[in-house]
Amino acid sequence: MTLTLIDWLIVGIYLVGCMTVGLMMRRYVKGVEDFAVAGREMDVNLGIASLAATELGLVTIMYTAQLGFENGLAGATVGVLMCLAMWIVGKTGFVIEPLRDAGVMTIPELFEKRFSVRVRWLAGLFVVLGGLLNMGVFLNLGGKFLVWSTGMPPEWLKWVMTALLGLVLLYTALGGMLSVLVTDYLQFLVMGVGLVITTVLVLHANGNGFGLVADLKAAWTGKAGMKMTSDPFNPFLSDKMGWGYVLWMFVFQMAVVTTWQTTISRVLSARDSATAKSMYQRTAFYFVGRFLLPVLWGAAAFVYFSKNGGLPEGIDSQTAMPRYLSTILPAGIIGIVIAAMLAAEMSTDSGYLLTWATVIYNDIISPCLKKPLSKAGRLLLTRSIVIGIGIFLLFYGLWYQLPGNAWDYMAVTGSIYLSSVFTLLVAGLYWPRANEVGAISALILGAIGPITFLIVEQIWTAHPEIFQSRGLANVIPVILKPAVAGFSSFGLAALGMLIGSLSKSNNTNPI
Amino acid sequence: MSDPFVLFWMLLAAASILWYAFLVFYVGIKAGKEILIMRKTLTKEKITE
Repeated sequence: MTLTLIDWLIVGIYLVGCMTVGLMMRRYVKGVEDFAVAGREMDVNLGIASLAATELGLVTIMYTAQLGFENGLAGATVGVLMCLAMWIVGKTGFVIEPLRDAGVMTIPELFEKRFSVRVRWLAGLFVVLGGLLNMGVFLNLGGKFLVWSTGMPPEWLKWVMTALLGLVLLYTALGGMLSVLVTDYLQFLVMGVGLVITTVLVLHANGNGFGLVADLKAAWTGKAGMKMTSDPFNPFLSDKMGWGYVLWMFVFQMAVVTTWQTTISRVLSARDSATAKSMYQRTAFYFVGRFLLPVLWGAAAFVYFSKNGGLPEGIDSQTAMPRYLSTILPAGIIGIVIAAMLAAEMSTDSGYLLTWATVIYNDIISPCLKKPLSKAGRLLLTRSIVIGIGIFLLFYGLWYQLPGNAWDYMAVTGSIYLSSVFTLLVAGLYWPRANEVGAISALILGAIGPITFLIVEQIWTAHPEIFQSRGLANVIPVILKPAVAGFSSFGLAALGMLIGSLSKSNNTNPI
Repeated sequence: MSDPFVLFWMLLAAASILWYAFLVFYVGIKAGKEILIMRKTLTKEKITE
């Protein structure tokens, strides 16, 4: 193991502190509104800390570092696009202003007001499907980081995942959003310190960054031990990225910042829409670092292994970064970094567990109940759902094997609902002619692209001969480009909304 | 370093590191105060109920 006693002490102190604070907030939970949206008492700076902590998980660090390993600094382009999208939305109030003013707890709840309870239910179903599949790899990636950075035996992965889940479930199921906000705050502080220290040390180990630039250029031009297969600085020249990918990513990020439930839950928890807009504008630049700093670590890992005989056995583009950090970080510092990464994992897991549980309770189960549950019953049910999701994550994370890179998996599973829900939200808020028929068409058509992609990808990986024998060997790789699946899902959703709404005039319910 | 993309990424990296360091202190202090206010409000509401 690479951790010393001082490192384990640092990790232990952080975990105990976090759990204590998280459990203390339990006493303020009186009902579902406190549990789900913190009684709407969240102010700007706490919102920024919570949003930043939730959206920077260990899974983020793992997939962005993988992007850095495979694409150099160009891998951080997505972060720049996300910053741009969030700032534009915060400045203009596009979608988030009318959404907060509507006073709902979830986006599907808005769809009931605007379209019908059927649309709410179907949207809730797709939101949960996409969200849970997306979240399905969080524990696995987080566990891999901890195993490879601490030098634990790889066979311990499932126990590490179980322990992580247990800790998070404890304060999330009991204290809900109030616990999540306060623990997010602590995790924001620890993560911030860890990220800055790690990045400074990584740059210092690479000639204060200048050495890294020179080595990446050498890797791109084939003058290093390992060849980088795309331009490490220019995303438009990259084979793996290019103009089409950049454009898709911008559209995708606009959809993320306006519809991704975990981000939107902070908007809905804000005191008012002005607070929500301010929070978005002030958090936007944070997302550049969210991608760029771990991308730097991934790129540095590439350079390191390139100079040291290539990737060791058992290490791939995903696990290279944690292995690299375990070699360059000194004792004490690695303890802080591990605590920071634990903080990142826990804040994301808790935020996402709560988000999907709220949608399942609010938008799938509640509309089906003939008689509303009591206050205690509603709280018990929401807590049970949180635990159920946790158990699903554990088994899915242990079973599902990622065929490609983690970011592409996240983008495609996210698109299952992003494309259709974004279309519904924009049309519902800004197009009076949008109606229930259009909404249902958009939901179904928008999900077809990404679901088809996931199924075809699994079959192609396991049994390529099925497609080869039908002369599709050249077609499948094109269909499996993430930008193709992504654009097609947005296009189909928009088409469904347009044609469906125009084909039938229903009574519409403007917000 | 004459490549504009290289310059872009290096400047962005430096700005991100400084921004994160600043945020930890600035947002950390302000958000900490907001948590105390939130607790006071929640305690008052609990007593009222």
